[in-house]
Amino acid sequence: MHSISRYRIPFVVPAMLCLAGGVLTGLVRAGTNLPEQLSFNAAIHSILVISGFFGTVIGLERAVATQRLWPYLAPLFSGLAGLALLLALDLTVVSLLFTLGSLCFVLASIHVYKKHPATHAMVLLLAAALWLIGNSLWLLQGTFWTSIPYGLSFLVLTIAGERLELTRFLPPKPFSKIFFIAIVFLIIVGTILSGFNGFIHNTWLGIGYAALAIWLLRFDIARRTIRQSGVTRFVAVCLLSGYAWLLVGGLLLTDLITLGVFQRDAGIHSIALGFIFTMVIGHAPIIFPAVMRVPIPFSIIFYIPLLLIELGVSLRLCAAFLSSTTLREAGAVVNAVAILAFILCLLWQVRLGVRSIKNPHD
Amino acid sequence: MAMTTSASTSKESILKLLETIIDPETGINIVDMGLIYEVTPSNEEVFIKMGMTSAACPMGDLIIEDMNRALSTIYVTPNKIDIEVTFNPPWEPSMMSEAARKEFGW
Repeated sequence: MHSISRYRIPFVVPAMLCLAGGVLTGLVRAGTNLPEQLSFNAAIHSILVISGFFGTVIGLERAVATQRLWPYLAPLFSGLAGLALLLALDLTVVSLLFTLGSLCFVLASIHVYKKHPATHAMVLLLAAALWLIGNSLWLLQGTFWTSIPYGLSFLVLTIAGERLELTRFLPPKPFSKIFFIAIVFLIIVGTILSGFNGFIHNTWLGIGYAALAIWLLRFDIARRTIRQSGVTRFVAVCLLSGYAWLLVGGLLLTDLITLGVFQRDAGIHSIALGFIFTMVIGHAPIIFPAVMRVPIPFSIIFYIPLLLIELGVSLRLCAAFLSSTTLREAGAVVNAVAILAFILCLLWQVRLGVRSIKNPHD
Repeated sequence: MAMTTSASTSKESILKLLETIIDPETGINIVDMGLIYEVTPSNEEVFIKMGMTSAACPMGDLIIEDMNRALSTIYVTPNKIDIEVTFNPPWEPSMMSEAARKEFGW
């Protein structure tokens, strides 16, 4: 019988607080007026979301996979860093904690690679290394803008590595692996170049992301599993829509397209929300039970936050085309509602899952 | 004390039970996925050696828990179910069943 993994809850709480902080700072950045008590320093928005939320949950997921205790240091340190950020503590302390967390995460990823030395495990390790490099640069230089492309690529390549692993279920296509490796190399180079120019000019990084999106749309297992039903189809829908947004976001990050002042904002959020957070929505009914040991029955209500995310990111895209402050703010509000809806759906289904543990014969 | 129920402890019946465990990402059960390497049953206990498609997958414990639950319909005493996860040999697509391979276009 499933039993709730209560000792993992302390790792989830800081991550969720960072997500809440990320949503609020995102609204402030988009121009929404919030009560003073909820108005955090908007400049910390990307760090809260990338490292505080995503970094902590991925660290927790990796620790669970290793079945060892020491990898839990990764989400412990990054969770503490996120809390320190929310409490407006000295940013040197914050960057040190994130650096320690990402170092532990790299070590956990090395452990995973040594257990099963495969290409996808190497990509996961490279992704972890990018996060560590970005945090280390922040610690050494005292400014976190350089670390943002590293954090973004850490998330993108983590997903890419996990998807590469699943493509093994399909018959291999000629040169697909070589193309994938070339794209990973391009993303790494693009990340370094973006870091050098403070995430201002990101053409090579954007091309890398767009190329990865095309590869995923062409070779991912989701093209097959979308024909199934229930949670399997839901995951596939999230994946395929996410890949489309990764393509859009990658193109918007390049200097090959010139829209209005909100182009980069639309590009980053196409990737962060349209791609990365959609992955979270899609896999929550699978990963949350694995991590927290509570069954979550799948329900079509999970399509609600997915559709809201699509709408919110679409509004931001329109804002970029029309240079509209109003549409940008509307997109931010809709995305905030989407994330809230996702949390509520998750809690509702967790309630049903917990009830099934207590009353197995119902 | 009875270690097992009256249900069959044959390898086939055990595999039938394990076929009820579905990987939600692929929609395929763990037997057809080729994760079950070895099943050694007896009336008193069962030993299962299995693989995982990735060492980075956090689903391992959950899958094992589901296996224990499924097998508890035969082996009523939990410590008589011994499941070992190994990456030697590492999982590869050729371990999938014909049905699974057909599903994925092989």
